[in-house]
Amino acid sequence: MDLVSFARGPALEVALAVFCLGVVWRIVGFALLRIRRNFNEPRNSLVKAIIGGVIATGSRSWPHSEFTVRTGAGEALGYGYHIGLFIVILAFAPHIAFFGSLFGVTWPALPNSVITIFSVLTFTLLLAVLFRRVTHRVLRMLSNFDDYFSWFITTLVIVTGLMATAHIGGPYQTILGLHILSFDALLVWFPFGKLMHAFYIFPSRAINGTLLSRKGAAS
Amino acid sequence: MSRLGEIPIRIVSRTPAASTGTIGAGVTAILIEIATQLDRLADGGEPGAIDLRSLPMSPGDREQLLKALGPGEVTITLKGDGESTINETGIQGVWWSEYRDRGGELIAGFIEIAQVPAILPVEPDQLRRGAQQLRAGAAGAAQQPGN
Amino acid sequence: MAHYHDQPTIGEMLERHGVSRRTFIKYCTAMASALALPPLAGRAMAEQLRAALRPSVIYLSFQECTGCLESLIRSFSPSIENLIFDVISLDYDDTLMAAAGAQAEMARDKAMKDNYGKYVLVIDGSVPTGANGAYCALGGKSAVDILREAAKGAAAIVCVGTCSSFGGVPFADPNPTQAWPVSDIVSDKPIVNVSGCPPIPEVITGTLLQFISTGKVPDLDEYRRPKVFFGNTIHDRCYRRPFYDQGKFAKSFDDEGARNGWCLFELGCKGPTTYNACATTKWNGGTSFPIESGHPCLGCSEPNFWDKGSFYSALSAPRWGKAGEVSPGDVLKVVGGAAAVGAALGVASAGLSRLRQRHIEKSTTNNEAKES
Repeated sequence: MDLVSFARGPALEVALAVFCLGVVWRIVGFALLRIRRNFNEPRNSLVKAIIGGVIATGSRSWPHSEFTVRTGAGEALGYGYHIGLFIVILAFAPHIAFFGSLFGVTWPALPNSVITIFSVLTFTLLLAVLFRRVTHRVLRMLSNFDDYFSWFITTLVIVTGLMATAHIGGPYQTILGLHILSFDALLVWFPFGKLMHAFYIFPSRAINGTLLSRKGAAS
Repeated sequence: MSRLGEIPIRIVSRTPAASTGTIGAGVTAILIEIATQLDRLADGGEPGAIDLRSLPMSPGDREQLLKALGPGEVTITLKGDGESTINETGIQGVWWSEYRDRGGELIAGFIEIAQVPAILPVEPDQLRRGAQQLRAGAAGAAQQPGN
Repeated sequence: MAHYHDQPTIGEMLERHGVSRRTFIKYCTAMASALALPPLAGRAMAEQLRAALRPSVIYLSFQECTGCLESLIRSFSPSIENLIFDVISLDYDDTLMAAAGAQAEMARDKAMKDNYGKYVLVIDGSVPTGANGAYCALGGKSAVDILREAAKGAAAIVCVGTCSSFGGVPFADPNPTQAWPVSDIVSDKPIVNVSGCPPIPEVITGTLLQFISTGKVPDLDEYRRPKVFFGNTIHDRCYRRPFYDQGKFAKSFDDEGARNGWCLFELGCKGPTTYNACATTKWNGGTSFPIESGHPCLGCSEPNFWDKGSFYSALSAPRWGKAGEVSPGDVLKVVGGAAAVGAALGVASAGLSRLRQRHIEKSTTNNEAKES
């Protein structure tokens, strides 16, 4: 069995299974956690608190006006490469063909030249993000293996993808195999590392916002 | 087998290149390439050639290229296994070669940049074989004076 | 011309047949052009060939369908007549030769003896090794024995077709005859693989001519295919490549995209992973090639092309399971199964954490009670 066949065959099957198992495990485990009871008299009604949660989900996703100068650049970088990743993952024709055969639905693609521009931009932003992480003193102290490995695996998928489309680094077949294999690795790592934030980020903001709003905090 | 040209076809869209008077970018590139090769040849370099088959040219492009090079004063016909032609273009040292097989089908076409097309000069051993042949003929004639 | 054998050179042979040097150059130039080599390479090849000796070629057919030979005899430049009358001495080919039976076998043995160490062995078809090689036998000898014997005196072996190069269709899972490619049986001779199902005729003749003119095995890729012909993927040289780059794809064989000649990637085209000369040399004297005729590339010049799932599923499509095809149902099975296990694990870990929480709370309230 050659590399591509392995990568999109058994490796993908196992990776998908591990991904689903891990994601559901962590979501269910998280959802069933007991929330510590609050014996204080609620400052806001439950409805108001939930609205507060929704507002917090939105407002936490944007730099707070007081900190714009200090965090704006970092957030812009973050937004930049996330948008880039979404475009590259969802609008590249071979990727759509991949999702199509997995889920049976397809959608229109963007031209490859546009995708190439976005993936190069995304790669550049990822480099900038890493640079910021190692040069920013506080950020560096907050970072652990998880942060670096999650960065590495994401970047690896992008780099191998770019190599495959640019036909550099070896036969297309090998590079394509490495690309799919690195994606398989990403799927396996996903639920167990910080990549899981994709599922956690909005629910946790909403829950936190609701709880705080119930206590009367501004959202 | 019937020739390709005999298969009836319907033209859906005609290439507009021939009608427009301006020279296309592809043709310009070929002209510049020929000029470069001419310079190289003049400076004592190797003769060169451009394969017409490897160039994605529309019939219009081809027409433009022929027009830009213009007609020359030498025409060579090769009669081995089908009639092939080599025409010098208006630019001396630039030869337009078309090789055809016995059925008249074009099997190779290229522009040669050379003092003389490479296919023409005769190799020394060929010359010697010719001499041998003539001598043998002469000897045969000498032996049979009656003929 | 100096040569140390009694045999005439190809040039002398040609003169004798009334093929002049110029005519030969003409054909070699046409071939170079057909093979997308520089035109001057044709002339150089013509000169080298004329100086070379006419080599003995022995063509053996094993577990094959004769499609490769059908392809070979349709070579335009050089034509097969040019090749077998002018350039090579085809001493054995059980399909093309007039002799049959014992006479044919004798001709082969004689050619092998007379040209020991010098002949070019062309192999067409895979070599079955199951049941002591009984699945393919010629004149009472098994293919595997004939190959071993013939390989001993060969200067080089040219494997024509995917079967002899990589095993091909007979090698496909479950390989009932235990068929092997030539390179798995012969290891001490230079082997050149001219893969394809069938290979492009001009690529077969071009490889033979290149070998004869230079006397050397050409530059080969990792699968021992001549780089001149197998250096690029179909996709690299495909005239539909701009549509791939623009993201314009045919989704079925009769939609707007197919009529407009858009990229066939989504219809399963294996062009991006297939190394061959179809997009440049093309077929039938440069008339067309599968993609030009509206059909995706099957990837027939690559190893195991038969076992790589459906010809019509996109290259990036996942595949596993028996059929090698993944339907959303299969995905649901995997995803659903994994999700169920994940959910159970989630419930269990939440339960554990609740237990621990309660335990901590109990001990803290106990401590608080003690302190007060």
